[in-house]
Amino acid sequence: MSAVATPVSPMLVRLAAEKATGALLRDHGTLYLVDGRVVHAESPAAPGVDVLLTTGGRLPRENWDEAVDRAGAHRAVGRFLVDSGRLQDGELEICHLGAVFDAAFFALSPTSGPTRFRYGVGHWFGTVRPVSAEAVERETVRRRELLDAVWPYPAVDTAPVVPRPAAPGQTVGARQRALLAAADGERTPAELARLLGRPAFHTLLDVRRLAAAGLVETPLTPEPEPDPVPPALLPVPPVPDPDIALLRRLRDALEAHL
Amino acid sequence: MPGIDECLTEAMTLPGARGASLVDWTSGLALGTAGESPVGDHETTAAETAELARSAAEFDTFLATDDDSGGGGDDGRPEKAGGPPVEDLIVTTRAGYHVLRFVETSFDSSVFLHLWLDRDTGNLALARMRLRDIAEKLVLG
Repeated sequence: MSAVATPVSPMLVRLAAEKATGALLRDHGTLYLVDGRVVHAESPAAPGVDVLLTTGGRLPRENWDEAVDRAGAHRAVGRFLVDSGRLQDGELEICHLGAVFDAAFFALSPTSGPTRFRYGVGHWFGTVRPVSAEAVERETVRRRELLDAVWPYPAVDTAPVVPRPAAPGQTVGARQRALLAAADGERTPAELARLLGRPAFHTLLDVRRLAAAGLVETPLTPEPEPDPVPPALLPVPPVPDPDIALLRRLRDALEAHL
Repeated sequence: MPGIDECLTEAMTLPGARGASLVDWTSGLALGTAGESPVGDHETTAAETAELARSAAEFDTFLATDDDSGGGGDDGRPEKAGGPPVEDLIVTTRAGYHVLRFVETSFDSSVFLHLWLDRDTGNLALARMRLRDIAEKLVLG
């Protein structure tokens, strides 16, 4: 179980090997590396450490904001939370590791488009407990397989969660009950995760478990693939800063060969 | 103030300790490991113990309290109100003991400490008490 047969991101493997420091930007999230190890990750699909700590938690939002104000510039927000007595080391590590693996799962999702790496870019949260890129890759693969082993239809991942009545004698665990109680028929798993202050993957997994148990509606399988779009009409991916000089050189080189 | 590694290292100093880990029982992720795994792979052990812990933590049978007054018992060392409803889980095998101690954090989480002890040299009663203290220390400092 040491090596990942097919890496989820060949670029991550390469950056880990060269002990790179910087930010790996992908479609669904960003991984921050220091010396080739993953120190932070974030994804729009996953609640951040702030949400996990302040939602129903002991940490008031003001304390979080204070930590970001005072320690964000030094990239030591996590450290500040501990040093100012808001949080213990163990709690910080548990919460932060949970958030990192959660965001990494979405950041490394296979539908991601182009991958870029910005050398030297760090994250303001600061380093808490670096994990090897290999461990992140392996866990991401394991999580995909786990979801599919529980209920192999990803349609429930993004659809609103609609509870179904339990069968006579069927029991639901406490955490899943809380999830069902918050499901108003409109909230998606990602929205429920944010509302409950839980990692998004955990919520996806619970929703798939509930789907397998028949306790949530399962959306019909999507209709057959629409007619393929002619390749010429494919949208051009948005490019924030096209490298004009490089494009000119390319054009010149091509023209020189004509 | 101890972090995950310090707590696992401390657990490994217990008599007969062979392996220790901190595991998330919703996902089966090992947040930290020390010593050996009974199957030679901490990640497999984490995923398997997580399934066991999840059953115990989620089934109503184990969540029911004898006393519904909610004031907490006065016997021994009562857990503080809001402490984990299930405190620990013990599996005795022919060769060893496994103690799974649930960890209560100030935010929503699902983690437990797993300690694997040698059956001959381990002291189950001691390990159970010390693991309780380590679990508290991990979140309260």
